[in-house]
Amino acid sequence: MSQNSNGTGHEHTSREEDNVNSRRAFFKNFGLFGAVAAVGGAAIYSGYEYQESKPGHDMVKVLTSDNRIVEVPRDQIKDVKVDTDQLQKQGREGLKGHRFVMVIDLSKCRNARKCISACQGAHHLRPYEYHINTLVMQESEHTAPYFMPKPCQHCDNPPCVAVCPVDATFKRQDGIVLIDNERCIGCRFCIAACPYSARLFHWEEPLMAESDKGKPYNIELNVPQRKGTITKCLFSSDRLREGKLPYCVSACPNGVYYFGDENQDAVTNGTTKETFRLSELLKVNAGYQLMAELGTKPRVYYLPPKNRLFEFKDEKDPVQETT
Amino acid sequence: MASEVNTDFLHDKKLDSIAADILRPVGITQGFIVWMGFLGISLLACIYAYYIQFDKGLIVTGLRDYISWGMYIANFVFFVATSLVGMLISSVLGLIGFKWVKPIARIAEIIAVAFAAIAGLVIVSDMGRPERLPYVFMYGRIQSPIIWDVTVVTTYLVISTLLYFLPLIPDLAISKGRMGHTPKWLQKTYEILAVNWKHTPKQYQILLKAVRIMLILIIPTAFAIHTVTSWLFAVTLRPGWDSSIFGPYFLTGAFVAGSAAVVIMMYFVRTNYKLDKYLTEHHFDMMGKLLVLVSIVYLYFNINEYLVPGFKMKTAEAIHLKDLFVGDWAFMFWSVQLLGLVIPIILLLFKFFRKPLSMFVISIVVLIAAWFKRLIIVVPTQDHPFLPIQHVPKAWMVYQPTIVESAITIGTLLLVIIIITVLVKFFPVIPIWEMAEEQNEIDSKSKE
Amino acid sequence: MIKRYFTLLLIVLISIRLSAQVWVVPAENDARKSPFAFDDASRKAGSEIYMTSCKSCHGEPGKNNAVPLVPPPPDMSSVRMQANSDGAMQYKITNGRGTMPSFKNTIATTDVWKVISFVRSFNDKYVQEVAAQAAGGASVANVNIKLNWLKEQNQIQATLSAPSKDKGILPVGGAEVKLFAKRYFGNLLVDEARNTDAAGVALFNFPKDLPGDSAGLVQLVVALSNEAFGDAKRDTTLAIGVPTYRPPLNEQRAMWNVVSKTPIWLLLAYTIAVFGAWGFIIYVFLQIRGIYRAGSEKNTESAE
Repeated sequence: MSQNSNGTGHEHTSREEDNVNSRRAFFKNFGLFGAVAAVGGAAIYSGYEYQESKPGHDMVKVLTSDNRIVEVPRDQIKDVKVDTDQLQKQGREGLKGHRFVMVIDLSKCRNARKCISACQGAHHLRPYEYHINTLVMQESEHTAPYFMPKPCQHCDNPPCVAVCPVDATFKRQDGIVLIDNERCIGCRFCIAACPYSARLFHWEEPLMAESDKGKPYNIELNVPQRKGTITKCLFSSDRLREGKLPYCVSACPNGVYYFGDENQDAVTNGTTKETFRLSELLKVNAGYQLMAELGTKPRVYYLPPKNRLFEFKDEKDPVQETT
Repeated sequence: MASEVNTDFLHDKKLDSIAADILRPVGITQGFIVWMGFLGISLLACIYAYYIQFDKGLIVTGLRDYISWGMYIANFVFFVATSLVGMLISSVLGLIGFKWVKPIARIAEIIAVAFAAIAGLVIVSDMGRPERLPYVFMYGRIQSPIIWDVTVVTTYLVISTLLYFLPLIPDLAISKGRMGHTPKWLQKTYEILAVNWKHTPKQYQILLKAVRIMLILIIPTAFAIHTVTSWLFAVTLRPGWDSSIFGPYFLTGAFVAGSAAVVIMMYFVRTNYKLDKYLTEHHFDMMGKLLVLVSIVYLYFNINEYLVPGFKMKTAEAIHLKDLFVGDWAFMFWSVQLLGLVIPIILLLFKFFRKPLSMFVISIVVLIAAWFKRLIIVVPTQDHPFLPIQHVPKAWMVYQPTIVESAITIGTLLLVIIIITVLVKFFPVIPIWEMAEEQNEIDSKSKE
Repeated sequence: MIKRYFTLLLIVLISIRLSAQVWVVPAENDARKSPFAFDDASRKAGSEIYMTSCKSCHGEPGKNNAVPLVPPPPDMSSVRMQANSDGAMQYKITNGRGTMPSFKNTIATTDVWKVISFVRSFNDKYVQEVAAQAAGGASVANVNIKLNWLKEQNQIQATLSAPSKDKGILPVGGAEVKLFAKRYFGNLLVDEARNTDAAGVALFNFPKDLPGDSAGLVQLVVALSNEAFGDAKRDTTLAIGVPTYRPPLNEQRAMWNVVSKTPIWLLLAYTIAVFGAWGFIIYVFLQIRGIYRAGSEKNTESAE
């Protein structure tokens, strides 16, 4: 059973919190869909009811969403019923009062590609399917090459959303551009429209199609992925809902990413967790947007690759066979 | 088309001979069965190819994330383009008053109906989730050019069908009693479709009015359908598509493809059905002149489309243009421009080449070139997105159409041919009453 | 191949050069010791901090799965790591160097000691030396922080006090205090760290342009991090920020918005065009019915 499959279960429990006693809050992080029993070979599978089990000291090991195995009393495990409609509704609505923004410091990126693997793990993607990709860039012949992580830019004037015929991709109030793979008809007009090559298409059955079968669709995680539909970077909106930084941002070992809220004028570094004024960061480092001249109004800012603390090495990637 | 119809021709003996000529090939013949059998079996293979794609996903095509539109979309553009000729010939030329288009008008409408009907199907073959087609109507966003395209393609198909059907009604009535050699069900179909046609002046009056409305309405619709199709590309930011003349560029290109298709079909009808009395060398001559005219206009737009960005050579445009002019696409690009445009223009300026057979050969080359031209418009632009293509399997960087993909594309072409064959074989391919009326007019004039 | 070989050689040379540079820790810092004894609770708390802040580079302790950076981040169980004194570890975590980031503003001093407590659990031979108890006797639980907003100066005043054993409530002087504004993903350091004066007072400058919520409210966190007193925190919400309301980003009519937010001109143009065209089409369909009816009329002019 998958270890990454818990996003949906998670959310529901946190919403339930209000009307549950405080002890239950401790179990907030247990997504039952990711729960694995390691005792006595008894496997816990999704939707299993534990109501008839004895109260008290019968302990069971479960895998939490953050990959820890913990022991909990069996009677404390609750079957989390995830309401797909509710997930859709809150997913389309977005988080009120926020305008999420990402800052990528190119002077720190040394192509560790941890952001990519964290992202691919969370979203059940193959090694060559990128929501975020690190590109080797060189402006012109005599300028220095540098690494540029490239997620979806979550444009405020999104060309991809403008062309979608069925409202399958849309922009939320918090600025995030999402994709609803239960709506997408697979016409790929958005791929043609996106100047950042940020979108990808499931040409075949997605990597974990088999194990994700039957799981409720979480629009904010875009899992389960579906054949014949589009997928793309979602700014990890499932994590943002919990107040956590995106997968890529927290996985970076080099402090490349800052993520935050434009309304609060603050961004938090994913590696050091240090928080900065967004306006100041952009001002001091002369931040810029990627291809701003196209008028897409990206929500991702870049800080120029100057004063780098390391030497540029273009290592060949396993999947890469570039020209 | 005249606003008044002189129904004298109904009592003219010439009507009998014209009807006999035109109705002779109608019906089920041995050749028809063999031909349809061949088409049907080939189509089955193509349907199986589509089943594979439906089952496995678009992975069976050569399309990948970077070049995500390929043969299907090129084919769609080609189909829409070809279908536009219905508007050009029966409407524009007809309304201006060119009499020579009369026997060709129905052929043009058949092409329009067949290509427009299958164009919609071609788009479905490109969809990742074809079963969600109803979503387009349920959740349609009217800001999306795809919704505009769906709207105008549907409208165009309906108008073209009406323009095919309305002038056919008197012929269906005339055919009554002259169809002894055809199966009973076909005669019954004629009777139903003839909608109680009695050749009354009032009926002619209504018919002519209805046809006239449709002839006018089809002009903006046809302009819209291909302009909107061009916008599927032009509304994006990509170099090679980001062009403000894409609408007229596509439209004029459409007339080239469509005229060539009409010539090819004219030639088939003329030789197979022995209708050289109606589709004369004069008609081919005129079509040749028309083809030269539309080709020159299209050449003009080609020069605009490539010379202006080629003069400036903006970074992204330059990569694209170099690829076309001297790079990977150069061979196809120059072949298409020369064989599909420049050489036909030069040849067709001479009367010698505006003969049926040479016109037929030239038109086939023009039509094939037109198909590849669409491929050149669709694919090379995607070869070079703004940001580099990195860290993906090498196969993702080049578009290499697969057998499955080609089979599905051929399948759509077969469907077009099947529709054309059925319409040509089961219904009079040349308007009997219009021919008879014209003959009657000429005769009465010569008597005076 | 040769090119690749040279690249490899270069990498090796660089790493040798970099790792050869010794990270010098000032003697004073090197001698520092944890103010509390490491126990299961501190190890558990330290493990949680380690997992969120350190694991991404240093990997899981004992598994040697650190990220291959230059210089390589050592594994927690390695001899190289454990050779550091507690004080040296505390210094390195706090200040950072090169690729190792500084956690000065993100991990509180006490939490740093907890991380060290966790790291030491991978060393069987480790025996802890606890710092001698600081004088004064004030303890973590009873430091009291009061916050005032001095509006004219646009300053925040923090007053620290703690009850002592015999002299009643005394001001806490010489303690390092930090002021943060709460943001969605973390706490923003508003002004640099200050030391309280003899009266237990520290003054912070508050920026004039920091956005608050729609009423200008900003949640402030004052944190005391002092080995003598341990940690103390206080949350206060003050209407000190710039009132900020920004409308949702999907409010306006736009080509990219949902159908209900279609630009008016497009809505009109589309509707008129579709209804216009289909009006004529339906009219023509009705004409076909008209043709049918006209055929049934007894008409003398009928041809057949």
